[in-house]
Amino acid sequence: MNVSSAAVQACGLVKTHGQGQSRVHAVDEVDLEVPQGQMLAVMGPSGCGKSTLLHLLGGLERPTDGEVWVAGRRIDTLSERALARMRRRSVGFVFQAFHLVEELSAAENVELPALLAGRSRRQARRRASLLLDRVGLAARARHLPSQLSGGQRQRVAIARALVNDPLVVLADEPTGNLDTAATLEVLRIFEELRSAGQTFVIVTHDERVAATADRLVSMRDGMFVDDTRLAGSHPRGLGGLIGLEG
Amino acid sequence: MGSIVLVVRLVLADVRRHKVQVAILLLAVTVATATMALGVSLRGASDTLYEQTRAATAGPDVVALSGDRGPAVTSALAALANDPDVVAHHGPYRIVYADLTTRDSTSSPVVVHGFAETPGAVNRPLVTSGQWVRPGGMVLERGFATALGVGVGDHVTIASRSYPVVGIAVTAATSIYPWAAQIGPGGGPSDYSGLAWMTRSDARTLASSHDLPVTLAMDLKLRDPAATEAFREGHRVSIIRINFHSWQFTAVQDMVILRDSQPILVVGSWLLSFLASTGVTALAVGRAAEQTRRAGLLKAVGAAPGLIATVLLTEYLALALVGDALGLVIARLTVPAIASPTASRIGDAAGLTGATVATATVLAVAVAVLSTLRPTLRAMRTATVTAQSATAYQPRHRPWLTALSALLPTPLLLGVRLTARRPGRVVLQACSTATIVIAIVALLIRFAQPERGYGLDGSAALPNLRGEHDRQLMLAVAILLIALALVNTITLTWTTAIEARPSMAIARTLGATPGQISAGLSTAQLLSSLPGAILGIPLGLGLFSIFALGNWTVPPFSWLLGAALATLLATAALTALPARLAARQPVAQALSAETA
Ligand SMILES: Nc1ncnc2c1ncn2[C@@H]1O[C@H](COP(=O)(O)OP(=O)(O)OP(=O)(O)O)[C@@H](O)[C@H]1O
Ligand SMILES: [Mg+2]
Repeated sequence: MNVSSAAVQACGLVKTHGQGQSRVHAVDEVDLEVPQGQMLAVMGPSGCGKSTLLHLLGGLERPTDGEVWVAGRRIDTLSERALARMRRRSVGFVFQAFHLVEELSAAENVELPALLAGRSRRQARRRASLLLDRVGLAARARHLPSQLSGGQRQRVAIARALVNDPLVVLADEPTGNLDTAATLEVLRIFEELRSAGQTFVIVTHDERVAATADRLVSMRDGMFVDDTRLAGSHPRGLGGLIGLEG
Repeated sequence: MGSIVLVVRLVLADVRRHKVQVAILLLAVTVATATMALGVSLRGASDTLYEQTRAATAGPDVVALSGDRGPAVTSALAALANDPDVVAHHGPYRIVYADLTTRDSTSSPVVVHGFAETPGAVNRPLVTSGQWVRPGGMVLERGFATALGVGVGDHVTIASRSYPVVGIAVTAATSIYPWAAQIGPGGGPSDYSGLAWMTRSDARTLASSHDLPVTLAMDLKLRDPAATEAFREGHRVSIIRINFHSWQFTAVQDMVILRDSQPILVVGSWLLSFLASTGVTALAVGRAAEQTRRAGLLKAVGAAPGLIATVLLTEYLALALVGDALGLVIARLTVPAIASPTASRIGDAAGLTGATVATATVLAVAVAVLSTLRPTLRAMRTATVTAQSATAYQPRHRPWLTALSALLPTPLLLGVRLTARRPGRVVLQACSTATIVIAIVALLIRFAQPERGYGLDGSAALPNLRGEHDRQLMLAVAILLIALALVNTITLTWTTAIEARPSMAIARTLGATPGQISAGLSTAQLLSSLPGAILGIPLGLGLFSIFALGNWTVPPFSWLLGAALATLLATAALTALPARLAARQPVAQALSAETA
């Protein structure tokens, strides 16, 4: 198979936790290929291993067995340091709990990965204000996370995930803590990014989020049980699709 | 009643779960109270040693000394014996000023007292080894003999004649070595001298054969030993000048050798207590946060919000009192070694007085209460407002710091942003560092001072005992200070690392390497230490100038700068380990711990 055409790829991926009796197969022999520009949604019941899969793909955890490739490079054998460098360039994370740095303002949170990637302060700042503008938070740039609503925080987190133009955005239940209006706002941004060709892996419980994807994978007990290609971008527009219009 | 049982049980459980923290707390309080107790009991200890020597040697109440000699002086002194206030006397006797040389050619000025072969009723030196003077055989004062390294059976040379040392003795009539010469020849000033005794005729022969300076003295016992001052006043008008040295004066003179020891110990104990309370504060803050999280649990079993505060305070108070008791025991055991740098006095240094115990206890309680008060109150407040989900801390935004840090390389950037997170901890870390630098600066100054030896013409063949004693004490206090400060630094780095874990885990997801994270944590501590290291130099100089008597010279500036730099480097090295450990935490785990 042609490894380099895929943004993210996993072969025979296994992750077990614990030992003996309490041994849990969080991810069990998973094969996955996410081509560039694809938006992949992963669904499944709680505890089926969705978050673990995402962590493995982003190099936050190391697989017990199998291989992970990002941008045509095998990452499961990399050192922590090399993994960190890989994340800077290729991966953006969005979490259910937002995980913003509490003591930094919205703009500073967005700047942080750019600075870590070695960009100049001015470049980082320019990039941050551009992205905050794109997620509709230009006016909140100087606010601390605690002064923002959940939806606003998540939009900051999305801006932060995008600041280094990552090859892939890994989102773990990005709307899990949001109400309908905020969810809609996040979906609008995802939709925009998708049409711009951004590669996504989104773990979600939310059918509406899954419906925006190009492809839907269902997981159960650490394994993929279903892999469906959706129709792609919906001609009717997002609002009509998810039934929130009018 | 039931709540007391509950508090005790919670305290015991807490102590069992935090053995290391308990040990650190005990260590800090013990060291601080021991030093304080030592510092405040020196005077009393010195006094008791004098008292005991005086009792054992029938010490005179007053020694009458005349710088001159001759029949008129002798009769004037002898006339004192007829004074109605005088109940017993010894003398008049000769004091001969000479030089003494040992077999290994150590030389020292010596005053030789000419005494009878059978001691009289007053001033009967206590022979601690060998025997009392006999014709041709001399006795050395014990402090002097110890400094010379001479014992019974050795020979010493005085005015080019060799004498066997037949005995070693102590007396309360003179000050301790090297202040045995109470008056100089002709009533002038005296040098550092040792004391020796010979028979009257040997002393006379010694003086006349070499035409050595001689003065006269007479020991007096008064009807009322306390009335020495009145006695002196009553004999002021006299044709012949006579100096009266009361026993109280001699007792005070004994303290001269401890003159600087007391400030070293007392100031040292302040600094130690200060470090102890910063260390305990750092621990208490961490503990309070943890306790706050347990608040919900405690509430669930029906505990009032005040319970957390009570448990924390009770625990810290109890530990402080245990530390206090340990410190007092240590002080009691070390007083004899510290209160008597010479061997000129006998007896057992005093036990600790009530005042000393009270002072040390107040100190220990203050350390415990002051350092727990703030976190305890906060725990209480938080506990009443929210139960389990309390993030006891709201970060403050410091835009200028963030802007500044963006110019820095990534680890420094992380460090500065971490520092901004906890201003209180920055202050604690700075204080710890300042204390280290103060201790080192004071040591450097002390070691840089020129010093006159006790040997002939200031020769260092006989070392300056006071200087040595001070340096040893200062070194010991400095070592304790540095040890406590190091423990503090490690505690602070560790608590910082623990609390920064969520932010650090997030930074890891954003592409920060473990190396950058640990460098960031170390940098945070280093940046907090920097102001302390800089301030420590003037503070050290200032403290020294406040408590130093007389002139002192400032050591080369490069030394001071070197001390500050070395302290910073050591801090960096020390913080590396906890920082590395914290940075090795798996990211995914840290992230899920935060959401849990
Ligand atoms: N550090 C760990 N130690 C032991 N078991 C773990 C650990 N992390 C995850 N697991 C287990 O692995 C399995 C998969 O966990 P994971 O968090 O990936 O599930 P999930 O699909 O994301 O669930 P949810 O939808 O509730 O977030 C679970 O059974 C979980 O208990
Ligand atoms: Mg999950």
